Amino acid sequence: MAVYRHSYSAYTGTLTPASTRVGVVVRYAFAEAWSSKITIGIFILSLLPCIATLVGIYVANNPIARAMLGAGREQMVAIDSGFFLKVLEVQCWLALVLASWIAPRVITFELADDALPILLSHPISRVGYIAGKLIALVGSLSLVTWVPGLLLFVYQCYASPQPWAANHLRLAGGMLAGAVLWIVFLSILGLALSSWVKWRVVATGSIFAAVFIPAGVGAVVSAVLRTRWGFLLNIPFMITSVWARLMGAAELSSPDRTLPTGAILAMLILACLVCVAMLNVRIRAREVVRG
Amino acid sequence: MGIIDLDGLEVRLANRLILNGLSGELRGHAVGLLGPNGAGKSTLINTLLGFHAPSKGTARVFGLDAHRDRAEIRGGIGYMPENDSFIGNMSGVRFVRYMAELAGLPPQIALERTHEALFYVGLGEVRYRKVNSYSLGMKQLVKLAQALVHGPRLLILDEPTNGLDPVARLRMIQLIKEIRKEGSIRLLISSHLLRDIDETCDEVLILKNGRIAALCNIEEERRSNRSFMELETVGATERFSVSIRGLGCECAAFPDGRIKLILPEHIEARDLYVIASEQGVQIRRMNQRRDSLEDIFLRAMDTAPEKGTNGRLQAQL
Repeated sequence: MAVYRHSYSAYTGTLTPASTRVGVVVRYAFAEAWSSKITIGIFILSLLPCIATLVGIYVANNPIARAMLGAGREQMVAIDSGFFLKVLEVQCWLALVLASWIAPRVITFELADDALPILLSHPISRVGYIAGKLIALVGSLSLVTWVPGLLLFVYQCYASPQPWAANHLRLAGGMLAGAVLWIVFLSILGLALSSWVKWRVVATGSIFAAVFIPAGVGAVVSAVLRTRWGFLLNIPFMITSVWARLMGAAELSSPDRTLPTGAILAMLILACLVCVAMLNVRIRAREVVRG
Repeated sequence: MGIIDLDGLEVRLANRLILNGLSGELRGHAVGLLGPNGAGKSTLINTLLGFHAPSKGTARVFGLDAHRDRAEIRGGIGYMPENDSFIGNMSGVRFVRYMAELAGLPPQIALERTHEALFYVGLGEVRYRKVNSYSLGMKQLVKLAQALVHGPRLLILDEPTNGLDPVARLRMIQLIKEIRKEGSIRLLISSHLLRDIDETCDEVLILKNGRIAALCNIEEERRSNRSFMELETVGATERFSVSIRGLGCECAAFPDGRIKLILPEHIEARDLYVIASEQGVQIRRMNQRRDSLEDIFLRAMDTAPEKGTNGRLQAQL
């Protein structure tokens, strides 16, 4: 083929390895997610707490800055597991806002226009297609969760005396594991709900609803039945407990309301499996014929 | 070996038998896929693309199992689906480039060939517009461009002229003819429009109720019926028909001067004029009738296919 000839010719060049096709989906999904000004806006908003935290760490570790502000060490916030747990909580809830905006963007355009028959007629499997979208989402959400969190941790390690870093290495691992757990869950949830809803605004709302409505139901169940197991429907409560345990910080809830880690993880895995089942039904080249 | 081989192919969807024991070899350069609604055309295409697993038998494309080796097969196929299927939020260039990269073209080459493919199908001037702003004809063309961009060995077109106005239809048919003429691509074209298949294909597979009603080479079929003739005469028709029989023609005369006959290979139309001249008979009209695809299709629809039969001309074309 040639533009000026307007004629067809076969392609005889080399092809990219089959394993790189998922990367193509990732690249285009990432570009689609970040092509929106609202995405950029949410991203910038998500970084504001990090900047405030950075200033806080600087001041806490710098006697001259403290002196200039007229504050003593005892008046400053302690930079410990509780501090980084707060950072993680703030960033992860901002990640929910970002996920609810970009998850519908990366998938609903293709489903609304019924692009799957064309997409899946290429050498990429359904699993590869979903994995590509998932990687793009996890990558995007990483930029507002564990990446800035770990950068703040590294800065604190740099700014504080040497023993602090050695004594708090668990924080870094906990922050990374907690954030990855949350953003993978959010990404799967976001993709599953967006794949079933044609309109992006509704999909955005449904992601928030899926996180907060069961929490309300769970609270009612717990209050009526006087049991702690109702909190198994409360995703914010469960994930905050996991974060606190991973980072070795004190949990906010009273001991009689805490849930076993195994039960929380089982519930999160169950929710993920439901989402995978939803994706399995929806991500097909053709509608399933019902008899 | 044909580019597509079917061997007792059965496909069940939701416990309903959609394709029932299809067997045959599609050898043509451009194969037309015909059949009434619900005959199984789209299911066959989806099975060839590996979207449906056969419940029995096999379908082979390029000699590879259509389900087991679907990733490899899809690399060599360009597919243009029947319904709207695109990413409307993307520009024509971006959409076709995305598909080219998914097919395995390196990004830079994908971009080059995208521009070429869009110019080739006639969307060069609108290639930076979003696909959802295209007209129906343009959307069909952008689907064709994405199917062509990676240089497939087999191009599957599902109702390529669906919803097109006459001008756009002609353009699409012309493009398909050009692609066929280029020679590197085999075509499988599914259509309800016999005319489209007639103009573009050299072989036809007719499906009825999930079975093969006919699988034949259109040109050969036409050739075998080329000697059928209808005459309208004035004068001594009876004597004229007797003389024609004397030449070795099978012939039937009707009271209004019409004569139907089948010419043997060694007799030409000129011989009839000579006899008519000798007997003072006027030949007012002579139709040398060729079997149209419509005749082939209607005969195939009238003939119920036998269970388990297969292959060429099974419907007694």
